[in-house]
Amino acid sequence: MNREVVLANLRAAGYETMSAEDGEQAWHTLDANPEQFDVILLDRRMPRMDGMELLGRIKADDRLNHIPVIMQTAYAAPEDVIAGIQAGVYYYLAKPLDRRLLLSVTAAAIDEHHRFLRLREDLAKRSTAMSLMEHGVFHFRTLAEAETLAVALARACPRSQHLVVGLSEIFTNAVEHGNLGITFEEKARLLADQRWQQRIAALQDAPEHRDKVVTVTYRRLPDEVRITVRDEGLGFDWRRYMDLDLSRAFAVHGRGIAMARKLAFDSLEYLDPGNEVVCVVKGRTNAPCAPARPPADGVAATVDTGDVTATPSAAMGAEELALARRMQAELMPTPEHLEWMYSRYGVNITGFFETSAALGGDVWGMDGLGDRRFRLWLADLSGHGVTAALNAFRLHTLMQHLEAPRDRPGEFLAEVNQRLVGLLPRGQYATLLYGVVDILSGEFTYAAAAAPRPVVVLPDGRAIEGDGSGLPLGVSRTATYGERRMELPRGAALVLASDALAELPSEDGVRLGPKGVSDLLRTVMTERRGKVDVDWLLAPFLSRVRRPLTDDLTAVCCLRPPPI
Amino acid sequence: MKYEIIDADIGPTLVLRDQLTFGDRGAFETVIDKLLVRRKARITTDLNNLDYMDSAGLGMLLTLRDRAQQEGVQVVLRNPRADVRELLDLACFDTLFAIELG
Repeated sequence: MNREVVLANLRAAGYETMSAEDGEQAWHTLDANPEQFDVILLDRRMPRMDGMELLGRIKADDRLNHIPVIMQTAYAAPEDVIAGIQAGVYYYLAKPLDRRLLLSVTAAAIDEHHRFLRLREDLAKRSTAMSLMEHGVFHFRTLAEAETLAVALARACPRSQHLVVGLSEIFTNAVEHGNLGITFEEKARLLADQRWQQRIAALQDAPEHRDKVVTVTYRRLPDEVRITVRDEGLGFDWRRYMDLDLSRAFAVHGRGIAMARKLAFDSLEYLDPGNEVVCVVKGRTNAPCAPARPPADGVAATVDTGDVTATPSAAMGAEELALARRMQAELMPTPEHLEWMYSRYGVNITGFFETSAALGGDVWGMDGLGDRRFRLWLADLSGHGVTAALNAFRLHTLMQHLEAPRDRPGEFLAEVNQRLVGLLPRGQYATLLYGVVDILSGEFTYAAAAAPRPVVVLPDGRAIEGDGSGLPLGVSRTATYGERRMELPRGAALVLASDALAELPSEDGVRLGPKGVSDLLRTVMTERRGKVDVDWLLAPFLSRVRRPLTDDLTAVCCLRPPPI
Repeated sequence: MKYEIIDADIGPTLVLRDQLTFGDRGAFETVIDKLLVRRKARITTDLNNLDYMDSAGLGMLLTLRDRAQQEGVQVVLRNPRADVRELLDLACFDTLFAIELG
């Protein structure tokens, strides 16, 4: 009998087992001992109650529905397999029995169940304080942190028991497949060889992955909770994984997303390229919505959740945030545009832009001004969130359409300022460095509004600092801006950057400051013997900066190649 | 941000300590309310114990100035140190505020 063979193999592997003659008897056993099982193996065909019917009962019972069910079947018509997976089968084992597969699938199922039990236990222990949260932004790096956060956040949502597994699944994907870039196939291979944990640990320590984080935004609305999860990976073909399908019926993983979508969330929406997902849970949380307590006099309020840090986010929905972030990135010059500048002016211009978790207001641009001159500018709108981003769009439009002499930086800036004074709300302003490069005279003529100083790095490694001082834009109607000049000889690089380069702290809390920025540029220029672009220049900084970034980071490098 | 308000006949002095950064803007609005409700002709902002300020901090000072101006109140910045002073210089705040040194 097949059942005896299965039992013998499982016992030999050290598992305790209980067996039943048919579906009816199996149900009575489960019903009487719901806490006792880690995995259930069913034959699809059984007397009195067949496998599918028993599966239906198990999945309808809250005491049992978390126990993985492995289905054995001799005839595996594709539509039956899909029906089984949709009804919650963990794995299909085809007959005749493959001993090695039986054991590896059973082990994986038990692991999964233990994980569920652990999460559920953590959930019960967790205080309910999280349910008072209105919104928050979280960052995590490791799988352990992912679980901690899943438990904490589930507590802040309706139907937390189911949610904890769904969240954990989504968070795990963000680390493994997102930040660490492990493919579905690779995971299958590693799982089979039981090298999974080691591989994850090794990848997480690798320099290219060390600083990657997953950003989770939680936001509670009157009738739903929205959780957005974004990783720093390249995205993936998420459409393949949204529904349960045949290609994964015989794999022990790869169904997490579909299961999460089915069981935990009311909706699950990936945004292209697939490194961001919005999860929605409808319903109200059990805890009352207490009003936020005002901070004590003289002390700023901080939120401390113990294992993960929380910062209040700008008051906006996750989708809006993602949309605004993409739109902002699209404002920057394209690679084609940079290429065109090279062919026209013989300058190698490279730009770097990374928006912060909270969305900042950086934008830069360039345009040709005849045969020998082009303009180059970099702006930073104060504040964060959608307001800053919207103002960046406005400024970008102004820069393109303003009726002012583009080749006279001082006048142009004064005009931009006039327009922004009426446009920007109180307390908001813009900083701007605007200049014209003349490739014939080798000069950079510029004007500045409270911008970080421009730096020209010479081929011999000297860094010449310009002057970025000036009234911020949008503050005073009477502001005027003078013109300044820097030499930009062949072989030299002109570097503009937003204040984030000087201000963002490293992992150990050190800020570069304006002088540190010059030192950084000088060092890289010397080491690279003049062959620099923005990525080379920023690399030492990016490897140390504390992530996630709390402000937009933008930098532009304009290199005039040396004479041949 | 940590702060203290010291009252005097001439007007309140706001002593700022530690840092003034993006996360403080809500609390800073409340501080402005407290300063303006005193209805004095002058508000002195003592920056001597402020170690760090970011660009959002500049924005908060601008908000203070703006709201004070509407009520006919003058804002004075006093004794900024090191990095904070460098930031104020960069933004030419001496043309917007009276800055007292010494």
